[in-house]
Amino acid sequence: MAKIAVRDLRKEFGVGDERVVALENVNLHVEGHVFVSVVGPSGCGKSTLLNILSGIETPSSGTVEITQDEEDAHPGYVFQSSRLLPWRTVMDNLLFVQRNPSSKEARERCQRYLDMVHLGDKGDKYPGELSGGMQQRVGIARAFCIEPDVLFMDEPFSHLDAITARSLRRQLHEMWVETKKTVLFVTHDVGEAVELSNRIMVFAQGGRLIDDITVDLPFPRDPSQDEVAVAKAHVLRKFEELDLVAT
Amino acid sequence: MATTLEEQHLRAPSAEEQRLRAQQRRETQRRWFWRIAGYVTVLGVWELVSGWVLAESLLPGPTRIVRTFPEIVNSGRFFLSFGATLTRIGIGFGLAFIGGAVVGMLAQSRWFSNFFRDAVTIGLTSPGLIWALMGLVIWGFKPQGWIFAIFLATFAIVTVNVAEGIRALPKDLLDMAKAFGTPTLRRQREIVIPHLAPYLFTALRFGFSNGWKITVLTEVFSSNKGIGFEMRVSSQLFQLDVFFTWVLSFFVFALILEKLILQKAERRFFRWREDVSVA
Repeated sequence: MAKIAVRDLRKEFGVGDERVVALENVNLHVEGHVFVSVVGPSGCGKSTLLNILSGIETPSSGTVEITQDEEDAHPGYVFQSSRLLPWRTVMDNLLFVQRNPSSKEARERCQRYLDMVHLGDKGDKYPGELSGGMQQRVGIARAFCIEPDVLFMDEPFSHLDAITARSLRRQLHEMWVETKKTVLFVTHDVGEAVELSNRIMVFAQGGRLIDDITVDLPFPRDPSQDEVAVAKAHVLRKFEELDLVAT
Repeated sequence: MATTLEEQHLRAPSAEEQRLRAQQRRETQRRWFWRIAGYVTVLGVWELVSGWVLAESLLPGPTRIVRTFPEIVNSGRFFLSFGATLTRIGIGFGLAFIGGAVVGMLAQSRWFSNFFRDAVTIGLTSPGLIWALMGLVIWGFKPQGWIFAIFLATFAIVTVNVAEGIRALPKDLLDMAKAFGTPTLRRQREIVIPHLAPYLFTALRFGFSNGWKITVLTEVFSSNKGIGFEMRVSSQLFQLDVFFTWVLSFFVFALILEKLILQKAERRFFRWREDVSVA
């Protein structure tokens, strides 16, 4: 079972007297087939948290452990922009992150996940030939095709139009159900978080984790359902109580 | 779903497509018309000036050059001289390309970029003639002289382009590769080199065209073979038809190199980029 354990995490940027604290005393524990959203206003350190989890940045202090059955886990990532290599075809972009790109299994696996995001016939296209939504779907397929133990997503739908984002959320949910991954999903969209997650972690300015809300509603959820609207209102109220909306 | 909309768009009505294609064809025809018209005009004026305004012995016309060309080819000097000149460019510019690329990559570091900054500016702005003369004074007809001149005249061009490419390295893609744990070698091969390719191409193009000019110049001063040497001899012997034949061959060769070889290679490398400019 996959596990993400973060203890006493602190991250600050800058040198000398000009220091900015991005994350302060963050502790979290995520385990198993769960979908966890990290929400908060911009500048609350959510993306920094993800960058530290993905190894792009190192923590100032504290520890991060990402394991699968007590061994180092193999994570997959989806970024805010698709971050595809523009000079490689869609298929080659997926092969790029494989451990053994020249193997037949790797190619078959990539094809399977391309099919899963409904782009099975676009393998030989270049990213520039696809729409923004399709590129983001390739990004999602790339994260899944390494069959990761945990999946980190950093506002993957925030650059897309509402209709495309909605359809991708649905696809993501189906893939999560099917593949039983542990997902950590960063977003500033509370509605999106409520629609997708079992757990919502609320971050405040200054990088403090201030609330951990369990959302116990049956899937699939639709924003028009009363329960979903109530849950969303609940999270937003938390924000207001903490006066986060004003900042 | 979004796909169906996009796919419908891809299956655009063929009438519209045909109209677009016809338009493109007309566009191409028009382009070629003006291009050829340019040649005809220049050659026509040249032919008229030769004999009418200037004596034919001073300015031989194009028809005369067409007759002289096979004579030079038959004498064997044509390929010999081109070979000699190309060898010089190959060596001089080859070294400059490697050296320039290394210095360009070093420019990632703040210290090195300051270390080389003014040298690069000087290299970019000073006329190649300076280096050719210096090479001649110091080494005479020895190869060091022309290697020195070609190297200094082209090195800065490569450095500047590579440094610019390095500065613009796609951090988001490198971070992505790092997050996925892709091996360093694969990262270099799949991200850094493809990213640098257009910059290297620009360096190659401008470096070569500069190297070409300076090579011929060094041959005029300090050589007993090559195109520049042939130009000097024929002008000294007042064989202006031979002289102009060499000049024209030089033009034609440069054009072929640019249009047929470099542009073809570029189109092949940058297939992924739809907006590659095709002159």
